Amino acid sequence: MEDQIVRLTSRLVVPFIQLYGIYVIVHGHLSPGGGFSGGAIFGASLVLIAVSFNLEAGAKQVSPQSASILESGGALGFALTGLAAVVMGGSYLANRAAGFPIGVTGDLFSSGAIFIITLFLGAKVASTIVTLFYNIIEGEKKDGTPEKHSG
Amino acid sequence: MGPLEHLPVLMVVIFFCGAFLMPLLFRWARPICAPLMVAILAAALVMAIIILQSVYQLGPQLYHLGGWPPPWGIELKVDLLRVYMLLVLFVISLWIFIYALRDLGNELKEELIGWYYTLYALLVGSMAGIALTNDLFNLFVMMEICAITACAIISIKEDRECLEASFKYLILSAMGTGCFLLGVAMLYMATGYLNYDYLHGSLVEAIALYPRNLLLAAALFIVAFGTKAALFPLHVWLPDAHASAPSPSSAMLSGLVIKIYAFALLIVFYEVFPAEMLQGVPLNEIILWLGSLGAMFGSIYAMLQTDLKKMLAFSSIGQIGYIFMGIGFNHEMALIGGLYHVGVHAVTKAMLFMAAGVIIYATGVRKISDMDGIGRNLPLTMAAFAVGSASMIGLPGTGGLISKWYLSLGALEMGRPFFVIIILISSLLNAVYYMPIVINAFLYHGEFQFRVKPVPRVMLATLIFGMIVIIISGVFSRPAVVLLEDAVSRFF
Amino acid sequence: MELLRNIADNYYYMVAVVLFVIGMYTMLTHSNMIKKVIAMNIMDTSVFLLFVSVGYLSGGRAPIVDEGLSAAAYANPLPGALMLTGIVVAVSVTAYALSLVVKIYRYYGTCDYDEITDIRSRE
Repeated sequence: MEDQIVRLTSRLVVPFIQLYGIYVIVHGHLSPGGGFSGGAIFGASLVLIAVSFNLEAGAKQVSPQSASILESGGALGFALTGLAAVVMGGSYLANRAAGFPIGVTGDLFSSGAIFIITLFLGAKVASTIVTLFYNIIEGEKKDGTPEKHSG
Repeated sequence: MGPLEHLPVLMVVIFFCGAFLMPLLFRWARPICAPLMVAILAAALVMAIIILQSVYQLGPQLYHLGGWPPPWGIELKVDLLRVYMLLVLFVISLWIFIYALRDLGNELKEELIGWYYTLYALLVGSMAGIALTNDLFNLFVMMEICAITACAIISIKEDRECLEASFKYLILSAMGTGCFLLGVAMLYMATGYLNYDYLHGSLVEAIALYPRNLLLAAALFIVAFGTKAALFPLHVWLPDAHASAPSPSSAMLSGLVIKIYAFALLIVFYEVFPAEMLQGVPLNEIILWLGSLGAMFGSIYAMLQTDLKKMLAFSSIGQIGYIFMGIGFNHEMALIGGLYHVGVHAVTKAMLFMAAGVIIYATGVRKISDMDGIGRNLPLTMAAFAVGSASMIGLPGTGGLISKWYLSLGALEMGRPFFVIIILISSLLNAVYYMPIVINAFLYHGEFQFRVKPVPRVMLATLIFGMIVIIISGVFSRPAVVLLEDAVSRFF
Repeated sequence: MELLRNIADNYYYMVAVVLFVIGMYTMLTHSNMIKKVIAMNIMDTSVFLLFVSVGYLSGGRAPIVDEGLSAAAYANPLPGALMLTGIVVAVSVTAYALSLVVKIYRYYGTCDYDEITDIRSRE
């Protein structure tokens, strides 16, 4: 698709979408939103690039390989943050009880472990959406199975 | 407060950590993936044994995630019943994994093996979660993880049958989860709790106020778990899914995945629903009858199959019927028999699928009629198949006899000899389709007509382990039965 | 009359149940796989609707701690939080189901179950 208007608009809009995605991720504990919603917004911006330009331009932003590394890393980070609480002497996924610092309510850093978890979650969701998109679009090229139409 | 206290959650989390580590390690340090998986499974098994010990000493234990007590937080519970299920789960998944190490290269593309490990770890972890959780919504999440990963270890083999079977499984299991969630909503509306213990407490009062809601919830639960565990009329997805999957996946699905849902049904019906509710409406009778119909029809369908793995899959429908019969009798002996059958059938069916996998690995034969005389070329494999068949039929000296024995004792003590006849007939039917395979394999006069590849020693070793376990479970059944007696005595 | 008034008062339960049955019926009877996936979502959404309506309090506020408000004025946040999880789960199942449909389409050139059965029986 070679549409100048779509390209120009998406080029204009994408930075703001990404900024908004990051805002939603880091303010997850203060306002509605969080890792999943923010990550989905961020991932959508990357998909938008790939849709409005082409797959190569999208892959230049986040390559499928790094997306899949980020995907596993995000989930692993979540699980390990939970384990860190166990090491620090609380229950699994404990927050204040395990000694994560809780700041003043209303500040940006006021949620201890939840902030860390939301960051990991955002990275995981954003990269998952990108990987899903590439898998569905590119599956044919990658696995090389011949197309079979018999009917 | 010691490190031991965290074991319940660690048993689940270790798998999730391992699962997400696998894709990274497979990229950068491929050789350590498989040993690490074995280490994780073995560590979980050791943890389960330690927990068994501490449950014996200190009684049931509760674990609150994040330090939030119920009814707000997620609660994990460890008691003898759950520890039994965990032991079965970890022993068999470790055993199947060791078999899978050699078999996977035969059935999957090299670059997918890392992802297979991820799915395997997620599947085992989610099943451990289903067994451990004490919270309905947590059960829902774990069930969904289990459903997706169970479909994924079928569809990872990317041929047409696998994809179709996996889609069918996914749709029906999504229907199951939809029903389950609606049932949870009904219970939540009536009581405002999701924790099993709190639900149990408040359902006693709620039952007088909202009898219809709760009845609907119970019916939805039967449909949900029945679909996922392939209870008789809801079994349509099972044969395709279990027969087309790679052999280790078939062993896993038939051996453990359908059992864990039967176990979840048991927990919900015995721990959450108060006894008055089960007396009011014959829910038990429904499960009992569906179970016995499954035991009959599963065997009848299995007799008609020409494909070995499909026959084994249909036989699973029959065998899961026994487990549901054990749940449905509402009698201690029968429940012990049903639970014992969870373990025995898990070992037996996993071993039969592994034997089928070895046959396919070595010769490529899938059709039963082509297997005449195979016993001379693959003696150990067919010996394992024979032991497995004996256990399916319930011959003396195998675990299958013990579970059917306790089931029948329960039926007799309830004064329902009719169901003993059903158990006998379905055992006879099992013999009708298992025995000819074994007999033809060893006593066929002609030569086996296919080329036979040498079988790796690891695969044969896993089969030998299976035979030993089946025979031990048939001869020294006392410790396990005592454990189960202690585990279920609180229900009666 | 009383029954009718009860139904009118709890119309959201009715909507949820109707949606659930529509979803379930479509999922089990339609042969088009994409429609099956859509129906699956309708079914899940109906349960989410039911769950969220359980926690709704007419005139209730969002449960954000603020000075000078009594606890009774808050809508129950728990069902909402649970359903967020449920939505995430439904999204992942949908994504997986759709990727399966794409793969099946590549083999058969159709996403209709009946046509696939046709093709397979002719082979």
